[in-house]
Parts: sequence; structure tokens; C-alpha cells
Amino acid sequence: MALSVIKKYDEKMGVWVINPVGEIDIYTSPKFKELLNELIEEKKADLVIDGNDLDYIDSTGLGVLISALKKLKEEGYKITLKNIKPNINKLFDITGLNKVFVIKE
Amino acid sequence: MTDTKSSIIKDNIKMSIPNKPEYVSVIRLTTSALANKIGFNIEEIDDIKVATAEACTFLLKSKLNNENFNIEYNLFDTKLSIKVTGSRSNTELKECKENILGLFIIESLMDEVGFNKDNDFIEIIMIKEIKDVVK
Repeated sequence: MALSVIKKYDEKMGVWVINPVGEIDIYTSPKFKELLNELIEEKKADLVIDGNDLDYIDSTGLGVLISALKKLKEEGYKITLKNIKPNINKLFDITGLNKVFVIKE
Repeated sequence: MTDTKSSIIKDNIKMSIPNKPEYVSVIRLTTSALANKIGFNIEEIDDIKVATAEACTFLLKSKLNNENFNIEYNLFDTKLSIKVTGSRSNTELKECKENILGLFIIESLMDEVGFNKDNDFIEIIMIKEIKDVVK
């Protein structure tokens, strides 16, 4: 399955909200990385990732998120993940990344 | 202790995969189907799928030669063994952080993991056993 990403800037909340649909793996993560870099380039702000339609993420996808967080953290912004599926939540747990990102139930 | 039932190979499957990222999704599907066939539960199937994909990703990020890499599945009654191997140019492997994360994920999800590499060869062996097997 490919990856498509719906993105919008929430003016009211002052955050980027992105909704990845499909799978982020070694094949699709370069596209995901490019998109996150474009967002950060356009406007630095907190980033909310809605994982409702994200079925799978691998270490390369996690690497993209870590790299984006590094750029945002420099200016005091954070990345929040919400509605993530149990299989993805498990990966954040075992890697300890649940302490690096804000994970909302 | 390993019982007799889990130590006899029922079936052996070998696949040769092009050295291209787009085939990792095919490996995930194949691995899930084989794990399901043995009788793993949904969570275990997902663990095996994720670990196998991470092993393939590790190889793909390790500057393999432009030839195929190999996956071998050994199906036991209550156990699945997966071996992923590939050859690469005779260069020093500089580990990237994602590769280290990938190996950590594999070790967390599988029961046994073996990792062998030198300058021109990489091999990752992973074993998962069914936990709630009725004896």
C-alpha cells in the first residue's frame, strides 16, 4: 500500500495537523520526509500527527519523525501523535520514543 | 527445553528478492501469511511481520550489491525461523541510527535473534515460538 498525507495548518490552534494514510516504510518514508521538511520550511509550529489512518510505520519512518522533532525542538516546538493504532503504539513503547514524543490516547 | 514437535522442520521456503525498497511490503504480506499458517495469534503475527521487514530494511540500507537478497523461512509445528541474507561490496559498514533502531526492534519482538556480518556479507536469523500452544 502506498502513502498519502493530508495536511492542514490549524490557524485557530496554531498547529500543523497531518493525517498520513497508509504505510510509512523504507519505500514511502523519503516522500514523508520531504513533506515534513516542506511544512517546517513553510512555518515552524507544533505538529500534530493523527494516526487514525496510519496502518504501519518502520524504523525509517520513526527516523523521519525523530529528525523533524530535532528541527522543531530547536525553537521550542513539539510533535504530538494522536489516535495511533496499538501496533504502532507498541513500537513507540519498545523503542522508548513514547517519552520523546507526546502520545495522546 | 525444546520439544521434538518444535524441532522438526515441516516446510522450507526460500525467496530471492530484488534489492529494491518497494518489495518490502510484499515480504510483510508473505511473512504474515506464513505466520498465520503456523497458528500464531494476531499480535505475534504482527511482531514477526515487523521484525522481518526491519531485517530486510537493514539489508537494503547496508549498500548491498545490485543483486537479489534472500529470505529463508523454516516452518515448524509451533515455531517459525526466518533467515535474511545479502551480500554487499567490500566496504566498511557505517551503521546509521535507523539501522540501530531497527535491530533494537527486531530483538524486542522476536524470541531469538542472531546477527552475523562482515565486509561483504550480512545475515540476520530470527526465531519466534507460539506461546499459548496446547500440548
